[in-house]
Amino acid sequence: MKKVIMGNHAVSYGVRASEAKVISAYPITPQTHIVELLSEMCANGQIDAKFIKVESEHSAMAACVGASAAGSRAFTATSSQGLLLMHEMLHWAVGARLPIVLANVNRAVGPPWSIWTDQNDSLSQRDVGWLQIYCESNQETQDTVPQAFKIAEQLQMPVMLVMDAFFLSHTYEIVDIIEKEQVRKFLPPYKPEIKIDTADQHSFGNLAGPENYMELRYMIQEAMDRGLEVIKRVDNEFKEIFGRGYGLIDPYRCDDAEIIFVTSGTVASTTRAVIDDLRDEGIKAGSLKIRVFRPFPIEEVFEVLSKAKKVAVIDRNISFGANGIFYQEIKSALYGRTDIPILGYIAGLGGRDITPKVVREIADKAIGDEHPERYINWIGVKI
Amino acid sequence: MVKKIEFKSYKEMPIRPMTLGSMMWNLTGSWRNVRPFYEFKTSPCILGCPTNENIQRYIYLVNEGRHEEAWRTIIDNNPMPAVTGRVCFHPCMTKCTRKDFDEAVNINAIERSLGDMGLENGDWMKKAKASRKEKVAVVGSGPAGLSCAFYLARQGYPVTLFERDKALGGVLRWGIPEYRLPNDVLDRVIGQILDSGPIVVKPGVKAGADISIDELKKEYDAVFLGLGLMSSRSLGIDGEDGKGVESGLEFLRRVNSGAKVDPGAKVVVIGGGNTAMDVARCALRAGSEVTVVYRRTRNEMPAIAEEIEEAEKEGVAFHFLAVPKELIRKGGKLARVIFQKMELGEPDDSGRRRPVPVEGKTFEMGVDRLFTAIGEQADLQGIDGPVETVWNLVKTGGETGETSDPRIFAGGDVVTGAASVVEAIAAGRKAAERMGRMLDGEPEPAAEEPKTVGIEDMNTDYFIHSKRNPVPRIPVDKAKAGFSEINTGFTDELLASEAERCFSCGVCNYCDNCWIYCPDVAIKRHEDEYEFDYDYCKGCLVCVFECPRNAISIREEGK
Repeated sequence: MKKVIMGNHAVSYGVRASEAKVISAYPITPQTHIVELLSEMCANGQIDAKFIKVESEHSAMAACVGASAAGSRAFTATSSQGLLLMHEMLHWAVGARLPIVLANVNRAVGPPWSIWTDQNDSLSQRDVGWLQIYCESNQETQDTVPQAFKIAEQLQMPVMLVMDAFFLSHTYEIVDIIEKEQVRKFLPPYKPEIKIDTADQHSFGNLAGPENYMELRYMIQEAMDRGLEVIKRVDNEFKEIFGRGYGLIDPYRCDDAEIIFVTSGTVASTTRAVIDDLRDEGIKAGSLKIRVFRPFPIEEVFEVLSKAKKVAVIDRNISFGANGIFYQEIKSALYGRTDIPILGYIAGLGGRDITPKVVREIADKAIGDEHPERYINWIGVKI
Repeated sequence: MVKKIEFKSYKEMPIRPMTLGSMMWNLTGSWRNVRPFYEFKTSPCILGCPTNENIQRYIYLVNEGRHEEAWRTIIDNNPMPAVTGRVCFHPCMTKCTRKDFDEAVNINAIERSLGDMGLENGDWMKKAKASRKEKVAVVGSGPAGLSCAFYLARQGYPVTLFERDKALGGVLRWGIPEYRLPNDVLDRVIGQILDSGPIVVKPGVKAGADISIDELKKEYDAVFLGLGLMSSRSLGIDGEDGKGVESGLEFLRRVNSGAKVDPGAKVVVIGGGNTAMDVARCALRAGSEVTVVYRRTRNEMPAIAEEIEEAEKEGVAFHFLAVPKELIRKGGKLARVIFQKMELGEPDDSGRRRPVPVEGKTFEMGVDRLFTAIGEQADLQGIDGPVETVWNLVKTGGETGETSDPRIFAGGDVVTGAASVVEAIAAGRKAAERMGRMLDGEPEPAAEEPKTVGIEDMNTDYFIHSKRNPVPRIPVDKAKAGFSEINTGFTDELLASEAERCFSCGVCNYCDNCWIYCPDVAIKRHEDEYEFDYDYCKGCLVCVFECPRNAISIREEGK
């Protein structure tokens, strides 16, 4: 059934269809609608889940950790400061190998206080060990929830679904609602081999000496290495049932492109429109949306970008003292295998709109700029 | 001991960080640098009690519903809780930690409840048999003498109790009005004490007169003198032996004997102690208009605060900073009294500011009867000589009552001057214990400084504020109309509710906090104690902080 719903509610419907058993969350703008609708669904019996109200995001994740360790499918949603408060527990979920799914609505970090979008909250959790999938539309957001659970449970790793504040969270779009009866064919009930069980007692999250710690870390990286294949397979399985797939990356008009713009989140849609304009003007341009950020699809990205003559990365984030975070990832993926110039542009921080005009400004600069003098290029800053 | 599992490859390891075998091989106790250990302190109330009743313990037992054991716990230090539960000035409550939190626990009322239960349950008192050949004489059947006789009989010594009056009880009988301590309660208390062991009573025999100290020494191996104070001090003004002036003690003696008294329309009581309060309130009950005149101010009054408040409620008037100067009689009858006005000067030996006359300032009052209650004196006829005295009191070597004669001991008011019932009980008990050791040739135990605790040592997060349960009482109108006992005592519900307010300062009451909070499961719980498992206790001290009552102490390892 198709409905016109906001991005946040698309997540809620995805969770309902995935039949999560424990939902624990603390409200924060712009995420609150997700768990608000889920709490109603719990109350009116649309979903058979325990909804745990907590006093902080740290506790929300801790509750998910406990629920997941006990063998339940666990979900939470948060944003910005809330995600940062969860930081310690995010590590715990990874170290304990718990397949929790978290929806993070990208919101700029304060101070100064901001409720509008940028990616610094989720990207500052880059090295924690969560898989990260950046969504572009409400439909993709909904569909990614059951995908995320399936990926998480197969890898025994937590997955973070990421979406832009307001441009996605509060924007209404047509979504083909998935129902649990269909999703069951795709996502079986969660039955972990290992869980907290009074009949089979173990101590979890216990001490590991130097002789064992590295092996446990090796296994996390090994799961990440397998992750890209698992994500692709899961995406294909989803597509077989629902007819929709999203891939690790999404190249647009890249086959003969001389310049490729790398984007993520909702900026990808805007950029595609600008690519069409450039093509109309005879400029061989293309764009590449990065959907899966962790694990980073190095080979897939190289495959697309290595054919171009120039790459421009649009970052709605910044690693202070370095540059755009996607920019670094792209450089790292291509390093030593090609010498095409890679240009980095910082735009749209704190929810400043990245309109087609802004993307065009970036395009004009990138096309004319063979070897930028500045390692970092700010777009639209009042200097 | 369980062994560690060695992995050759990560493939042998579980995907999750989890134990496959036991972790008990990891003796985490070796990380500890501070060691917690159970060390029960002495609750401040116990130190506040002159006879060191184990108050914490008996309130704990009340909370457990073990009333007989609770009563037995009191009896170890005080044979008459039904008396002290009514008349004690309860310094225990002044020391109660709870007073620094909200209001002190009503220990006095709990004690009375248990005392009354002890009277109702005749089989609670186990009778001691005469197991010693040494005989002991106890002179005086007031609180000191009764206490001494009780604790001697308990040790198996045959006791002969001498009392100069026909009835036993001393000051308890003739000095305390029935509205505070009914005669039937006193009779039952004394009966229970006399039944508790080999005690023979000789009433109507005045030691020092009817039987000499030498004769007592010949017949008995040891003698205890608990003579009390028998007569009021005089005012030291002209004409005080004449009509209209009476000793407060004599008046109380007549009232308590049931004789009809008629003190007259206008009564003045001189003094600020408990005797003055008792005299004033008895006169009030006889229909007089009563004024208490005290030479200092209310703050310096030695009477129990509750007694002052009661007197005030009943309608006794108070006049402070005055002493009687001159008695004016008309037709042989007292008519008026001229008072000297006083003011407070420098502090005296007692630490209270000394009253000094205000030059030339006097006032008059119409008075029908003047009662003196400015202190009592001992009657040391036949005593002074055989034992050394000082300031007309028997001189003793210490708390355990040794006099100048190694076989004679003394305690109570005759040693201290006017003090309290509980202090006399303590003196009687300590002397009995000392006499036992003397007769056995046992050495004196070394004195130990007890460790105690205060509010700063409590984890008050675990306590909920609550008001003290006052003792139920009859209305003031009804009280002042007669001699019915004013306080009616706790109901079972009030007893339970008040006992629950006790913090059990410094002493474990098995609340399980340490056991629950230990993050390493390093505390074992047994039937009636906990035990640290030092193989695994890391010394995090969570138990110490979560113990609401500071029953766990710490020390550095290796020190």
